[in-house]
Amino acid sequence: MTEVITKQEREEAFAMFYGMAASIGELADPAPEMTDEERVERAKEVFLKGIDNNVAVQLDACLHCGACAQACQFFIGTEDPKYTPIHKLDLLKKVYKRELSPLSWLLKPFTPDITVEDLRNQVELVYDSCTMCGRCNMVCPSAINIGDLVSLNRSAMAAAGLAPAELRYMRDGQEADGTIFGADEDLFMFRIQDIQQKLGFEIPLNKKGADVLLMTSGLDIHLFADATGGAIETLHHMGVDYTLATDAYEGANFGSLSGYDATKKKLTKHSTEAIEALGVKTVIVPECGHSYPALRFGAAEAMGRPVNFEVMTVSEYFGRAVMDGRLKLEKKSHPKPIALHDPCKVGRWGGVFDEPREILKACGYDLHETESNRQYNFCCGGGAANFLLPSADKLKRVGYRVKMGEIEAAGAEELVVSCGSCRMNFEVGKVKAGDSIPVESLAAIIAAHLPKKETVEGDKV
Amino acid sequence: MTLLEFARGPALQWAAVIFVIGMLWRTLGLLLMLRSRPLSKDRKKGLAGAGVKTMFSRFLLPKVFAKRVGFQYLLGWIWHVGFVLTVFFFQVHVMFFKGLVGFGWPALPNSVVLPVAAVSLGILVILLVRRMTNPMLRYISNFNDYSSVIVTILPFATGFATFTHIGVLPYETLLALHFLSVALLLVWFPFSKLFHVITVLPSRYILGVKFWRRGVEA
Repeated sequence: MTEVITKQEREEAFAMFYGMAASIGELADPAPEMTDEERVERAKEVFLKGIDNNVAVQLDACLHCGACAQACQFFIGTEDPKYTPIHKLDLLKKVYKRELSPLSWLLKPFTPDITVEDLRNQVELVYDSCTMCGRCNMVCPSAINIGDLVSLNRSAMAAAGLAPAELRYMRDGQEADGTIFGADEDLFMFRIQDIQQKLGFEIPLNKKGADVLLMTSGLDIHLFADATGGAIETLHHMGVDYTLATDAYEGANFGSLSGYDATKKKLTKHSTEAIEALGVKTVIVPECGHSYPALRFGAAEAMGRPVNFEVMTVSEYFGRAVMDGRLKLEKKSHPKPIALHDPCKVGRWGGVFDEPREILKACGYDLHETESNRQYNFCCGGGAANFLLPSADKLKRVGYRVKMGEIEAAGAEELVVSCGSCRMNFEVGKVKAGDSIPVESLAAIIAAHLPKKETVEGDKV
Repeated sequence: MTLLEFARGPALQWAAVIFVIGMLWRTLGLLLMLRSRPLSKDRKKGLAGAGVKTMFSRFLLPKVFAKRVGFQYLLGWIWHVGFVLTVFFFQVHVMFFKGLVGFGWPALPNSVVLPVAAVSLGILVILLVRRMTNPMLRYISNFNDYSSVIVTILPFATGFATFTHIGVLPYETLLALHFLSVALLLVWFPFSKLFHVITVLPSRYILGVKFWRRGVEA
């Protein structure tokens, strides 16, 4: 692997980036002004629009057994009853009971309407204390999709103008020009040229008709150039006809994370149109958890029709290449046991489990699985953009501790992850907890195990 | 009309009518609601099969949750099995149903059903006390949760009292109270969380399909 960013460079970038991320709340425009009645009406409108037959059946199947609490890292770590996942759906349930349930005629007189105070109290429950990881879905005896319904709650909060300032700032920025953390086209080009210089071959840009489009994210552009660089180096090594694009490089979607559905749709639509204009067959989304479901499952919804390209995440694309023999990796000796973190949005919400494991096996790693793995994996603690919320700092550390506890119990001395925000949260968690376990990008690991081969077209000679 | 005549006559009959209409109303109301359909391509085939699988796999607890949820899962299992055995396989109940539908089925000996019913009743009481004393459960519980357990306990308690003739009340009164408690259960059923009898399997199916679309066994 060619080193595209040194450890020192990364640490400096990390310190600068962390400082910037910590202050974005102060930069946000003031929250939208509206009357209390308007806030309640807007939230209710979102709830009512989101309740279909499936949601109604699931809400009517809840037994209040509390099993979901025992799957939630925030409850496990604090024992605070208010973090019980199903409690986070109480407002939705109220609206359903009063307005849409087959028994609404009977329940309405006994079910008070939601108030603006309810909405304000809900903010902490559906942002700070829930990363929509969906682990609670996996334990519920009625299999209620609590994770998705918390997402509906975030949409209701955003519509009511109550999304946290940090997420409003991120959303406003991306709504305006499609970029995050100021990673505009100039910065993207700077990073690509930087990687190009270090890798020593030309990185194709805006190549129409290429087989594969590789996307990146603001986080990788600023911080984790090794992830983007690793993916580029591997694609080049495999001889894949790939490209990056100035009009479709940002994989992150802060409309999706913050609950602004119109922004989510707009961003996905923009990327989809740019991808279709390029005519690529496959899109590789970056090591950025939510960017996978946002495009893989969101593109067709945003366009209102099926789309004609495949979407894969980095670990999925390269893992499959390893599995079907298109990518040979060099097995090396790794004395330290490694743990794999399955990012929730890619794993539990995306089904990508075997591919990263095959990659690690091909690299010769001694993988120590955490007790909760694959679809039962614990979140890093800072998913769904929570890593940006200072108000969630305590809870993030709680989530990190639960996760890290399993990693330590597995005897792992190294951690690999294929998601930038998980990586960010682990890095911050380590600093706060005084831990020192190295956290690596899977894409960078792949690149580090590429066997030496003869010069391919485009290499510097 | 004596209390017993009222209990096993109009009270039970009207309760049954309310039960049937209520269950149909709520079920049809749910069925008639619109459904959104995803447009994106599925990652896996065989969605219906996966949905059915989840309907049954959720009867078992994934090993990773055993430490924290195993006890309540076990109680839930024993209680539900005990309920079915007591209601449908207690000799007196089988005779009652035979009178109602015209045919019967083999009953379990009293020596089996009575301990089963006692255990079920005990578990219900434990679940109620647990709900009242566990801070998390107490926090999330509402009237529906408490009343549903109490309304379910009553037929068991009155049934035991009737069978064993325990208490100061005459047998006929105890039997009437048993019928009335069953009537209350029937009336309460469609309007409470006891309705999960209808929704729990479809709910599991929904998640099973949703996750299998994404390639995940739920």
